[in-house]
Amino acid sequence: MKKFKGILIILFLFLVIYFLQVNFFSWFTIRGVMPNTFVILTLFLGLFAGKKIGGVCGVIIGFILDILVGRSFGFTGIFLGLIGLLGEYFDKNFSKDSRVTIILMTVGATIIFEIGMYIANILKFGIEIEVLPFVLMLMVEALYNILLVIILYPGMKKLGYYIENLFKNKKLLTRYF
Amino acid sequence: MKNNKTSVIGIAITIIVLILVVIISNIGTSQMQSVQTVVSKFFMPFQNGFVYVKNRITGNEQQISDIEILKNENTNLREENTKLKEQVRELEILKSENNTLKEYVNLKNKYTDYSTVPANVIERSYSNYEKIIIINVGTNDGIKENMPVISEQGLVGKVLSVTDKTAKVQTIIDTASTVSATLSTSSESILLKGTISDNKKLRATSIPVETSILQGDEIVTSGFGGIFPKGILIGTISDVVNTKNELDRYANVTPSTDFSKLETVLVITNQ
Repeated sequence: MKKFKGILIILFLFLVIYFLQVNFFSWFTIRGVMPNTFVILTLFLGLFAGKKIGGVCGVIIGFILDILVGRSFGFTGIFLGLIGLLGEYFDKNFSKDSRVTIILMTVGATIIFEIGMYIANILKFGIEIEVLPFVLMLMVEALYNILLVIILYPGMKKLGYYIENLFKNKKLLTRYF
Repeated sequence: MKNNKTSVIGIAITIIVLILVVIISNIGTSQMQSVQTVVSKFFMPFQNGFVYVKNRITGNEQQISDIEILKNENTNLREENTKLKEQVRELEILKSENNTLKEYVNLKNKYTDYSTVPANVIERSYSNYEKIIIINVGTNDGIKENMPVISEQGLVGKVLSVTDKTAKVQTIIDTASTVSATLSTSSESILLKGTISDNKKLRATSIPVETSILQGDEIVTSGFGGIFPKGILIGTISDVVNTKNELDRYANVTPSTDFSKLETVLVITNQ
């Protein structure tokens, strides 16, 4: 029941973020560059719900996006899945209670996702390689993601721990203290 | 005796006061201004307070007497307001429908040679270098893959994939898009590609060395490749970038279609 509740919350989050990304951020841009809120969502799930949920949700979200608005099927799912898996690695090695580490994780996840997607698109579609424009776009996108994380951090943290409780079922084992 | 003394003093004081009043009244107003200011500063708040209270009381009296009339008036006005709001809403819907139909008619008239299906843009891609749009027509409307999509201003792109009721369109500004084109003034063909550096521009490459290309030249589809019909306007040259090697020179092209405001398109179903 708890996990079902968690899945419903994730579904609701995805719908809200999808609506915002496709309708709002498509015109609310910085120098014509949109943020990538799906990377933030997947990283957030990986961090708080664990690599299984993060990875699976990343793959599913990516595949849905590819089906709905993607140029081809598969790449988004693979790279978002990777971000979901990275979430738990980040969680084990860094503190998610610090705003700075969350920001750094977001930057890392955005860079990994976009570089991966760009290389995959170059290989599949033969896109012309434009290093400088790509780096500039990536910097603006990472900056935009940072701004969003700074704004959303308090809410993310509260909801994150709630989701963590639903999926990980962490309990304090008092006899060990 | 005491009474006489008092009355004399009283008369004297009265006379002195009168004399003072006469003297003061004969002094110019400009010399009295400072005194007037001090006095008015002291009294004005009280005066204002009194006036406010008075106005409130008289106003309230009037309000109480008119309250029934106002209630009725208010009810009537609310009813009228609701009716007017409904009418405005209906007019707005009609206006929007009219605009859409006008756009369709203009588009149809412009491309009479082709059999077309009108559509609306319902979604756009979220990626910064994938410029895909979703339109509200699909296989049910006779749409198939690779059909060209145009707008009133010019070329939009081609159908990438189709479902029953929607179609995914790869726009010409997508980084994976390549369109064969010609200058409207010559028959030499060039290639147009989407770029990351400016998602409102196209890059014209493979420009033949002997081709003279100038800012403001119009670019149209060449008809090569079998997807886009010949002669559809793509855009105009905004600047030409000359390189050491003439074969590498390229030009930036401003598309005639404004993709950020694109709402109505036509899918060409026959060529």
